[in-house]
Amino acid sequence: MERNTMAYKSKQFLMFAGPALILFCMVIIIPFIYGLYLTFTSWDGVSAEKPLVGFANYVSAFKDAYFWSAIGRTLIYSAFAVIFVNIVAFLLAYMVTSGVKGQNFFRAGFFIPNLIGGIVLGYVWKFVFNRAFVAIGSAIAGGTVPSLLSTTGGAMFCLILVSVWQYAGYMMLIYVAGFMSVSDSLKEAAMIDGCTPGQAMRNVTIPLMRTSFTTCIFLSITRCFVVYDVNLSLTRGEPFFSSVMAAMHVYNKAFTYKDYGTGQAEALILFIVCAIVGITQVYVSKKGEVEA
Amino acid sequence: MASLSLKHIEKIYPNGYHAVQDFNLEVEDKEFIIFVGPSGCGKSTTLRMIAGLEDISEGEFLIDGVKMNDVEPKDRDIAMVFQSYALYPHMTVRDNMGFALKLRNVPQKEIDEKVEEVAKILDLEKLLDRKPKALSGGQRQRVAMGRAIVRSPKVFLMDEPLSNLDAKLRVQMRTEISKLHDRLGTTIIYVTHDQTEAMTLGTRIVVMKDGIVQQINTPEHLYNKPCNLFVAGFIGSPQMNFMDAKVEVKGKDVKLHIGDNTLTLPADKAKVLIDGGYDGKTVVLGIRPEHFGDGRKADKENTIKAAIDVRELLGAEVFLYFDVDGKQCTARVNPDVDLAQGMEGTFSLDMDKIHLFDKETEKSLLYAE
Repeated sequence: MERNTMAYKSKQFLMFAGPALILFCMVIIIPFIYGLYLTFTSWDGVSAEKPLVGFANYVSAFKDAYFWSAIGRTLIYSAFAVIFVNIVAFLLAYMVTSGVKGQNFFRAGFFIPNLIGGIVLGYVWKFVFNRAFVAIGSAIAGGTVPSLLSTTGGAMFCLILVSVWQYAGYMMLIYVAGFMSVSDSLKEAAMIDGCTPGQAMRNVTIPLMRTSFTTCIFLSITRCFVVYDVNLSLTRGEPFFSSVMAAMHVYNKAFTYKDYGTGQAEALILFIVCAIVGITQVYVSKKGEVEA
Repeated sequence: MASLSLKHIEKIYPNGYHAVQDFNLEVEDKEFIIFVGPSGCGKSTTLRMIAGLEDISEGEFLIDGVKMNDVEPKDRDIAMVFQSYALYPHMTVRDNMGFALKLRNVPQKEIDEKVEEVAKILDLEKLLDRKPKALSGGQRQRVAMGRAIVRSPKVFLMDEPLSNLDAKLRVQMRTEISKLHDRLGTTIIYVTHDQTEAMTLGTRIVVMKDGIVQQINTPEHLYNKPCNLFVAGFIGSPQMNFMDAKVEVKGKDVKLHIGDNTLTLPADKAKVLIDGGYDGKTVVLGIRPEHFGDGRKADKENTIKAAIDVRELLGAEVFLYFDVDGKQCTARVNPDVDLAQGMEGTFSLDMDKIHLFDKETEKSLLYAE
């Protein structure tokens, strides 16, 4: 068969990329398009009928004050979580690449929280906040100390803390790869040029790790924006709905209040907000990236 | 500029590997010292100890009489050109070259002037605003040199700076480095495994093997008077030919038997073997390829007969490869010599230029260091 023909190239493409493309379409593209269709219906999530309602769900989503306050809350939570996840992950990566004894043990140890499912993690930490910390606090202060999860600010703080604990290990691995990609000779050249360890880090190592920063910040933003499992098991959105994140609001709207169409429309808006933030961040971070 | 002193330097790694043993060297101001040897001989390790990138396990290292063992690399006033050039990929050529001065809080105007001046010397003026990725290998190499020169350090350290370049560029850069040394009048320590670089650049060469210094001397001395088999074989290209020779002493005459060939030693060399009690023993005879001649017209004495295995014409000279008593030998002869592959050749030996080595100790019997 002639190798330079369109038919040959198409066949070759389908042979290698076909299976993955079909799977991708089945689990991502088709559900996404179907979800888009559902935003134009007043489906309750159960019945067979899906009456078309035009843009009514979007109008309703834009008028939903609870949704926008959940989006605002998610933005605040994401801002803090992304910053702290990345700071902690970077410092952990620095520690486990500095030649400290047992660094492989530490790498594995810091990564383990990421292997535990969000639901389990939430319940474990709920026990820690509600029982362990309360017991310790009460023993030290005397009397009964309220759980952090019972206050509005405290619940948000707990969510951020658990997210940092959960994601930092994963991001650490990406930062470890970043640290290791900076060649030793560059670090040595910096030392000979007159850099202190801090200056070498600031002027040489960090600029050459921009790819790691881009990846980690993007991953943490997208993860934080759609946080649901930890939110559900740790705070359930309490107290007084003060910790209901956008994903939880969307879920409740669709499945608890049986307003699937509006829930789906809000999910789409959440997706767009998340995509705008994520893509902007990647676009900005990618500028000036260089190979180490 | 500076003088360096390395006294009984040792490098022992935590796993017990002894990388450098009892290294002693006095480097005078403005010297161009070459560390040469095969891979793993400890030359780069020694250079890195001088740079402060490796700890010195034992011994003393001084620059201008000041002990440097525990001084940070940044405080040693040295500059280093790395094998990989180690240019900061996120900085322009200008920033790369001025980085060290910036760290020392030199005013920007002064940095710019210095960078421009060095760029002019190295013909980098048009490349100053480019990033390393947009440069060729030779240009990167020049930037790496420029980065070192801008600082006007006491000592330049170069770790195989030409090994990533192609053969033609390497020859060109070798000349450039030599000119730079003359122009800047700096002390340079240069590591290479290429004996040609060592011979052409160095004022003195340190030949190393297995972490031990074999011989330190000028290129001419190392070439003409190697102190052992290793140095004799390492310095010179094609390398020196070695043949096992049985010694026969007859009064004041000494004959060497190599297979069916018999050679008569000159009196001074004969005396060494007689005095050393080598009668009846086997020594190693060494002879450089250019000290073989076409022996067909010479008298029968001090010639070796061998069939030509390969003839290589290099233009101005011809290499003839042949086997003598099981040892592969090379002769460098004039292209007019009409010996072709498969022909029986007769080679005369310049007996004044031969080398003799003890077979056991591998030390030269003629030139002690």
